[in-house]
Amino acid sequence: MEQHSDTFLDNASEALKNTGQAERRDKIALFASQIRTAAIDSFEGFDDLRHHVKKIRQHSLDNLDYYLSQFEKEAVHNGNQVHFARDSEEFNSLVLDICQQHDARRIAKGKSIVTEETGLNSFLQSAGLNVMETDLGEYIIQQAGETPSHIVSPALHKSANEIRELFQQKHDLGHRELQKTSDLVAEARNVLREHFLQAEVGVIGANALIAENGYSMLVTNEGNGDLCANLPKVLIICTTIDRVLPRAEDATAMSRLLARSATGQPHSCYTSFYSGPRREGEIDGPLETHFVLLDNERSNILSSDYREILECIRCGACLNHCPIYTSVGGHAYGSAYSGPIGSVLTPLLTSLEQSHLLPNACTSCGRCAEVCPANIPLPDLLRDLRHEEGIKKLSAPRWRYGLKLHSWLARHPSIYQTLTATSIRILHRLGRKRGGFSRLPFTSGWTSQRDFPAPQENTFMQLYKAKMKQNNER
Amino acid sequence: MSGSARSEIFSRLREASRGETEENIQRERLSLGSAPSPMPPTPENCQAFILNVLNNQGSVDCVSNRSEAVKAIAHYLYTHFHNYRLVAGNDPRLAAMPWRDAGVLPRFGSLEAGEPVALSFARLGVVETGAVVTWTSKANPAANNFLPEHHIVLVDKNDLVPTMEQAWERINHALETTGRPRGINFIAGPSSTADIEGELVYGAHGPHRWHVVLLGDIPVDAQNIARAAPKDQS
Ligand code: SF4
Repeated sequence: MEQHSDTFLDNASEALKNTGQAERRDKIALFASQIRTAAIDSFEGFDDLRHHVKKIRQHSLDNLDYYLSQFEKEAVHNGNQVHFARDSEEFNSLVLDICQQHDARRIAKGKSIVTEETGLNSFLQSAGLNVMETDLGEYIIQQAGETPSHIVSPALHKSANEIRELFQQKHDLGHRELQKTSDLVAEARNVLREHFLQAEVGVIGANALIAENGYSMLVTNEGNGDLCANLPKVLIICTTIDRVLPRAEDATAMSRLLARSATGQPHSCYTSFYSGPRREGEIDGPLETHFVLLDNERSNILSSDYREILECIRCGACLNHCPIYTSVGGHAYGSAYSGPIGSVLTPLLTSLEQSHLLPNACTSCGRCAEVCPANIPLPDLLRDLRHEEGIKKLSAPRWRYGLKLHSWLARHPSIYQTLTATSIRILHRLGRKRGGFSRLPFTSGWTSQRDFPAPQENTFMQLYKAKMKQNNER
Repeated sequence: MSGSARSEIFSRLREASRGETEENIQRERLSLGSAPSPMPPTPENCQAFILNVLNNQGSVDCVSNRSEAVKAIAHYLYTHFHNYRLVAGNDPRLAAMPWRDAGVLPRFGSLEAGEPVALSFARLGVVETGAVVTWTSKANPAANNFLPEHHIVLVDKNDLVPTMEQAWERINHALETTGRPRGINFIAGPSSTADIEGELVYGAHGPHRWHVVLLGDIPVDAQNIARAAPKDQS
């Protein structure tokens, strides 16, 4: 998709003005974290599982050349064609070529964030193809001409009312009012069923590739990916080179983490493994199947200090628990990947120059690392990116000088303590009556939303020293 | 294009990799062992499987033999559709069922437009997730899993396995002996979505009802759980 992370701050301010969406995000953040906690509390071995899967992922990445070539060999053995793409352009052209070889006009697409990353839909559409997203959330935002706001629930930002209005505009509803949510779902089901039956090519993503047997794993609740994989004559499975795991049981072990972290379910409804075309005697299924595997910087990330980000299983938990994401929503990030994972991944997939604002969209609260089922130290990676940003002088000069000043002060404790003690005393005197300030220099980010409390008279260090002195005198 | 892309990508991967021998890689993977799995809700397999199927918003009938299975299916069909029609794959195990005893009229093949019910015979049932496992073949066309309004699945009690790891042990053995199918499907409930304001709705694309018929010598306690579960008549 088109990237506009360079305007993150404006995007975020704009998003904060839409109070309806902000309220819904607040509710969903609360709900999502509660159901995740409940799912994990009821599985005693969750932490052991996390460690186990982490080791498997590390082992796979350590030997990615071996496992990827094993996967390729097995997938070809199963009758697939396997293609590699260095970047989005190559990836999109490969998919278009396959569609054109079959004179395809209609494409049924399952959810695939990789194809969001490469902007596949608009590429195929500009070549005259009719591409229909079939995951309900993706379908809704496609109809609305928007982009996903969440890696798991792409239409999270839309209310049922907005979706009803959208269907009223786009579908021929006659007198039907679609009052209930189930009416909306049924409406989309009917429209999409037609498309499934007519599409010549199905495109799906994959949660994992399995080296030992050449299958892909796809996890969904709707079953739309399975219709894409089984009904059209040609199937294209789109994913990235880092998704390979050694064994099938490794993929299902990962799915244990995924469902609980993503939706608070103990497992998703459909866990499907696909590899190859219709077998002899079979009466349905695609006649030709392709894997298109994208690199797009991942082989470089593999040899960088950010390698661990490749262990992400795309569960969305870090988004649901991030105070920045839940305040400004996914669109502000201006990238296919939002939230903490997006703030690390986007600069690595594009460039720090384009996306350096994202690693700053962080309060260092650490919740993302706490909930990440892949145990990725997201706050550390974000800090490292900010460090690089500083070295490359990408941030605004006043920020850099401010940080320099702070670091100098931190290395000169006596000056630091004198300065803070003086300013605290002044603030204490000035704010004593009202108990707080509605405006202060340099703090508009804070005071635009709430008062700044007036500090107590003494700093922590002053109190600490007094206490130590008392103790010594006793 | 793809050829040079492939070699370029692999050469970068080789640079980043540890360059271990195949033997060492296999040995290391082996040393990492198997993943921990969640405790079942109760130690007895049938009971735990039934509880998980119910949790997945499925319904369950327990039957002790094939004749009872046919009767239970007939009853299900009549309750929901007032007829005895269904579609089933060309599975010899299904063809050999005494359908006429209960007046059921199966059509063998792949589900077509206007046919609301399909029946599959599962290869496995996974206790851990309350899932049934099928694979695509003449015996179970994919359309029968994903297109009907109601999906009925027969599971033999002897095909229950406790965890997904054990399911893969069995599947891997089958892949080695009978070849690799094009699709292997773990199905745990009717199709669902929460994409509109987080509200859970069944029947997103595939079946909105999912009914499991567990066949074999089922302990009475397990049967009672299946019987006590509320039956939705829709
Ligand atoms: S970084 Fe961790 S929490 Fe975030 S999406 Fe990836 S796996 Fe989930």
